[in-house]
Amino acid sequence: MTFDLTMKHMMLGLATGLLLVSAARASEAPVTESTRTLEEKIAACAACHGPGGISENPMYPSLAGQYRDYLEVSLKAYKSGARTDPVMSGMAAPLSDHDIKAMAAYFAAQPGKLYTPTLE
Amino acid sequence: MRPLPWIVAALMTGMGAAQAAGDAEAGKIKASTCMGCHGIPAYINAYPTYHVPRLGGQSAEYIVSALKGYRSGERKHPTMEAQAKSLSDQDMADIAAFIIQAPAAK
Repeated sequence: MTFDLTMKHMMLGLATGLLLVSAARASEAPVTESTRTLEEKIAACAACHGPGGISENPMYPSLAGQYRDYLEVSLKAYKSGARTDPVMSGMAAPLSDHDIKAMAAYFAAQPGKLYTPTLE
Repeated sequence: MRPLPWIVAALMTGMGAAQAAGDAEAGKIKASTCMGCHGIPAYINAYPTYHVPRLGGQSAEYIVSALKGYRSGERKHPTMEAQAKSLSDQDMADIAAFIIQAPAAK
């Protein structure tokens, strides 16, 4: 019995091949919000708040060395909508409570230029 | 009347409408209330219970923006809202001018 390779066979083969390739590619995790690492989330802050949280733009506050709980309260307020800002609301929205705690702790621990002022 | 005085007057009005320039000397007097909390390292209010943020090292622009946020109610904090509502734009500029050159508390 002979086997004739027809267009129908070729199309079936092509379709199967494409299906296998796309299945293989899908198993490589796409970079979505849920796969952003904490380091990546922290790195995003530098765009406005400066490297290591030391701001180079007077519009944006420095974060380095700020009190951890104050930073945490601020991020939570942006996330809940209690406090609004065109940029910060969007930045805080995808953060989990764990992210917020970790990011606040991170910036509080960074060496910075913030200090308590005094009248004298 | 010659045009020059009118031009100068118009320019000065325009400058006044822009961000008020701060006077650190005046600001030192106006900031004495602020320093009651912000001038004490690691100070925590009775309510809400989180550290009063460090202001030394922040920019004058940010300090004024924060005060305006409390004055307008956009930023919420009972004490800060009350404090900021008593401040004019000039007061805020003066306070910020003082803070950015204030020495560090020991």
